[in-house]
Amino acid sequence: MIATLLLLHVVVCATLAIAGRRWGRLSLLIAAVPPAAATIWAVSRLGSDEPAHAHLAWVDTLDVAMTFHVDDFVEIMTLIVSGIGVGVFVYAYGYFNDKDTSVGRFAATLLAFSTAMLGLVWSDSVWSLFVFWELTSVTSFLLVGHKNTNPEALLSARRALMVTGGGGLALLAGLLLVSQSAGATLLSEIGPAEGTSVTVGAVLVMVAAATKSAQVPFHAWLPGAMVAPTPVSAYLHSATMVKAGVVLVAVMGPAFSAIGAWKALGLIFGITSVIWGAVGALRQRDAKLILAWGTVSQLGLLITLFSVGNPKATLAAVTLLVSHALFKGALFLIVGEVDVRAGTRDIEQLGGLARTMPGTFAAAMLAGLSMAGVPPLLGFVAKETAIEAVLALNGAEMWLVGAGVIGGSVLTVAYTMRLLIGMFGSGPTTPLAAQHGALSAPSRILALAGVVGYFALGPLEELIAPAAERLAAESVGNLYRWPGLTLGLWISVAVVVLGSIAGLVACRLRLSVPAGWAAGVTDTAVDFTLVSGRWLCARLQHGSLPVYLVTMATTLALAAIPFVIHIGSGSDSFDHLIWWHSPLQAVMALAVVASSLALAAVATRLGAGIALGAAGLSVAALFVIHGAADLALTQLLVEAAIVVGFVLAFGHLSRSFPPVGLRWRAVRMAVAGLGGAAVVIGLVAASHEPVAVPPLDEMVTQAAEIGGGNNVVNVILTDIRALDTLGEVFVLAIVALGVLALARTSRQDEKNQAEDTAQPTALQSTTGSPALETAVTESGSQ
Amino acid sequence: MTESLSPIIRLGTQAAGPFAIIVGFYLLFAGHNSPGGGFAAGLVFGAVLALRTIAGLQPAGNGLTLLAVGAVISASVALMPLAWGDVLFDQQVISTELPLLGKIKTGSALLFDFGVTAIVVGTVVAVLEGLGVAEFAVTSNSNTDSSKGDTDCSEAQP
Repeated sequence: MIATLLLLHVVVCATLAIAGRRWGRLSLLIAAVPPAAATIWAVSRLGSDEPAHAHLAWVDTLDVAMTFHVDDFVEIMTLIVSGIGVGVFVYAYGYFNDKDTSVGRFAATLLAFSTAMLGLVWSDSVWSLFVFWELTSVTSFLLVGHKNTNPEALLSARRALMVTGGGGLALLAGLLLVSQSAGATLLSEIGPAEGTSVTVGAVLVMVAAATKSAQVPFHAWLPGAMVAPTPVSAYLHSATMVKAGVVLVAVMGPAFSAIGAWKALGLIFGITSVIWGAVGALRQRDAKLILAWGTVSQLGLLITLFSVGNPKATLAAVTLLVSHALFKGALFLIVGEVDVRAGTRDIEQLGGLARTMPGTFAAAMLAGLSMAGVPPLLGFVAKETAIEAVLALNGAEMWLVGAGVIGGSVLTVAYTMRLLIGMFGSGPTTPLAAQHGALSAPSRILALAGVVGYFALGPLEELIAPAAERLAAESVGNLYRWPGLTLGLWISVAVVVLGSIAGLVACRLRLSVPAGWAAGVTDTAVDFTLVSGRWLCARLQHGSLPVYLVTMATTLALAAIPFVIHIGSGSDSFDHLIWWHSPLQAVMALAVVASSLALAAVATRLGAGIALGAAGLSVAALFVIHGAADLALTQLLVEAAIVVGFVLAFGHLSRSFPPVGLRWRAVRMAVAGLGGAAVVIGLVAASHEPVAVPPLDEMVTQAAEIGGGNNVVNVILTDIRALDTLGEVFVLAIVALGVLALARTSRQDEKNQAEDTAQPTALQSTTGSPALETAVTESGSQ
Repeated sequence: MTESLSPIIRLGTQAAGPFAIIVGFYLLFAGHNSPGGGFAAGLVFGAVLALRTIAGLQPAGNGLTLLAVGAVISASVALMPLAWGDVLFDQQVISTELPLLGKIKTGSALLFDFGVTAIVVGTVVAVLEGLGVAEFAVTSNSNTDSSKGDTDCSEAQP
C-alpha cells in the first residue's frame, strides 16, 4: 500500500507537470487527490497496532534499499502532511486566479514536495531518508522561487537551498558514520551507541536538523522564504518541511540518548531559537514574517523538548507538534486570505477587519489563542504538558529548559496579541476585495480542529500517547484537559498575564523592523562560496593548453610523492627491475625516447606531428614484441586516425609553434621532467610487490567457456569487464558531444567577430554570401 | 585548399575504401577469437569516412546519429538480460551450423561490439567535424568556384 500511494503521487505529479498548463486551476484540485488518498489510508489505519512496512530493493549488493515503516508516530506525521496538504491544495484553488498561467507548474511542484515529504516521514532506511530529505530541499527551492521574475524570490530561494541542502550533506555524513558504527542501515535497527564516530555522527545529524528546522544561527532562510505564495508558506514553512528536522531529532533521539553532545547541542539550538525567534516576531510588521519568526521559535521549543528526552517532554513535544500544525497552518492561511482581499500584510496598515471579516476574525482568534496556550484549546494542553515536563526535571537543567519554555511562552503570548490586535483591532478599516469560498474553508476547519481536539482529548490521546511511547520507549503518562490548581496552572496564568501586558506594550511601542543581519551573513557566506568557486575555476580552467598540461603534470608529480617516500624509506627499491626481455625492446625504447626528445625540440608543427607519429609507432612495436597484438593493432589505427586529424588541423594553424619565453620554457621542462619521473616511480612501486598472482589461467578458461571466444583481451572488454567498456564508450560519446559543442560555439564567435569588425575587408573571405559574390564579380568586370 | 581535390587522394580513397571497409568488418567479427574488435573496427570505419569527406566524395556529418545508435545498442545489451531476470551483461552464446560458412559461434558480445563501433565512428566523425572538416570540404568547393570566376573575369578583362 505504501508503494502504491507513493506511485500514485508520482504519476499524478508527472501528469500535472506535462498537462497542468492546459488545466489551469483545476490542476490544483487534481493534485489534492493523492494526499486525500494518503489521508484516508492513514485514518483507516488508526488504532491498528501492526505497523505498515514496505521494502524496495535498490542496490542489493551494497545493501542500499528504500525501506518504509509506518508506526504510530509516523501515522501522526502522515495525517499532518497529507491532511493539511489537501486543505492547502483547496486553499490554493481560491488563492490563485484563472489568469495565472503558472498554476499548473505550481500544482506539480507542490505535489512533488508532498511526495518527498511523505517519503521522508515514512523512510526507515538511511538512504531513502537522505534522498527524500534532499528532495524536499529541492522542491522547496523551486516553490520559494516560484515567482521567477522577482529577484528577491530568487535570492531567497538560493539561500534556502544552500542552507538546507548543505545541511543535507551534513545529514549524509552523519548517517553514514552512525550506520557504519551501528552496522545497520535501518533507523529502527540503530540502537543506543557511544563512541567518537557516533558522537561526530550525532552532532552532524543535529546540525542537519537545525538547518532544516531553521534554528538559530541557520534560521535566516525561513523568513526569506516568505516571498513564496502563501499556500507554500502555510504548507512547507510551517506545517511540514520545517518539521523534518524535528522529526529527525525525535526519531534519532533514542539512539543518541547516551551522547552528551547530542542533548547539549539540541538544547543550545532549541532554547536560543525559542527566545530569538519570538523576539524577532515581536519586531516585524509584516504579518507573514511575524508568523515565520514565530515558527522559528516554536520549532526551537519542539527541538528543546525532544532533546530533553524524558517521557513527559516527549509527550508534550508530540502534542505541540500536532497543535502547532493546526494553529500555525490556520494562521498562515488567514494571513494569505487577508493579503488577497486587503492587498497588504502590514499590521500597521491593516485594521478593523473584525467587523468586515467576522468569520476570519473568529478563526484567527481560535488559532491565535491556541498558539498563546489559552483554554479551551489544544495549544493549552501542549503548553501545560511542557511546563509539567520542565517541573519534573531537576537542577540546572530545569532552570535552563524552564527559562526557554516559559520565557518563550510569554513572548509567544505577546507576539500573538500584537498580531491579532494589529490585524483585527481598531484602526482605519481596510477596503476588501471579493471573497472566494475555497480561500476560507480550510483555515476555518484547521482552527476549529484546535477546539475539537481540546474537548475530544480522549480519542486524541489514544493517537498521541502511543506515538510518544514509541519514541520514549516507556509509558509517558496522560494528557489533561484541566490540570487542577497545580503549580503548572499558576505558571500558565502568569505566562498569559505577563505576555498580554508585553503584547499591549509592544503594540504601543511601534518597534522598528530590524535589519536582517543573519540573512546578510548567510548571503555573504553563499556569495563567498560562489566567488571562490569561480576564482578556483578560473585558475584551473585557464583556457590555455600549456597551462592545462602543466596543471595535470604537476598533479601527477604530487600524486607520486607517497611512492617516493616508500622507495626512500627502503621498503621499495629498483632491484626487481630487469633491463629487457629481448634486446629489440631496448632498441624500440631508444626510438621512443629519441622521437620524444625530437618532438620537444623541433620548431615546426609538421615536424612535431611526424615525431609524435614516430613515438606512437615505436610504442606499437614494443607491444608487438610483448605479444600484445590487440594493443599494437589499436595503437596503429589510432596513429592513422591522428594523421587524418593533423591534416585537417594544419589548415588552421601556423607553420611553427609560437615563441616561448625562457622562464616559461624552464618551468615547462621542469614540470615535464617531474611528470615523467612520477610515472616511472609509480610504475616501479606498483610492480615491486604484487599482492596476488594475476588470474590469467582463470581468465583464459572463462573467456572460452563463458564468453565463447578465444581472444581473451576482447572477451575481457565485451564480457568480463563489459561494464567498464560501457562506461568508457559513453565517456567517448560525451567527449564527442563536447567537441561538437565547443567547435560550434567557437565558430559562432568567429562569425560574430568577423561581422563586427571591418565589413568591407572581409570580402575575400566571405565568398559564401551570394550578394558579396556578385559584388566581387561586378567589380571585376568593370 | 585545392590539394584536397588532388586526383591521387580521390582515386586512392575510392580504390582503397571498399577494402578498408572489408578489413573493418573482418576486425569486427573476428575480434572474439583473434586480434580486432569493435574499437579497432570503429577506427578503420572512421578513418575511411574521414578520408572520403576530405576527398570530397561525400558530405560531412556530425556523428550525432551514430553516437545515439551506439549508445542505445550498447546500453540495451547491458540492460536486456535484466528483463528476463538475469544479471547485467549476461552473455548469450549462440552457435549454429550455417550453409557454406560451417559452424558459427557468436553471442550478444558481438552486438555489444556493434554499439562500441558505432560510438567510436561517431566520435571520430565528431572530432573531425570539430577540427573543421565541413569547412574544409565546403570552402574547397567554393574556393574553386570563385577562383574559376576570378580567372573568367581576368580573362574577360583584356
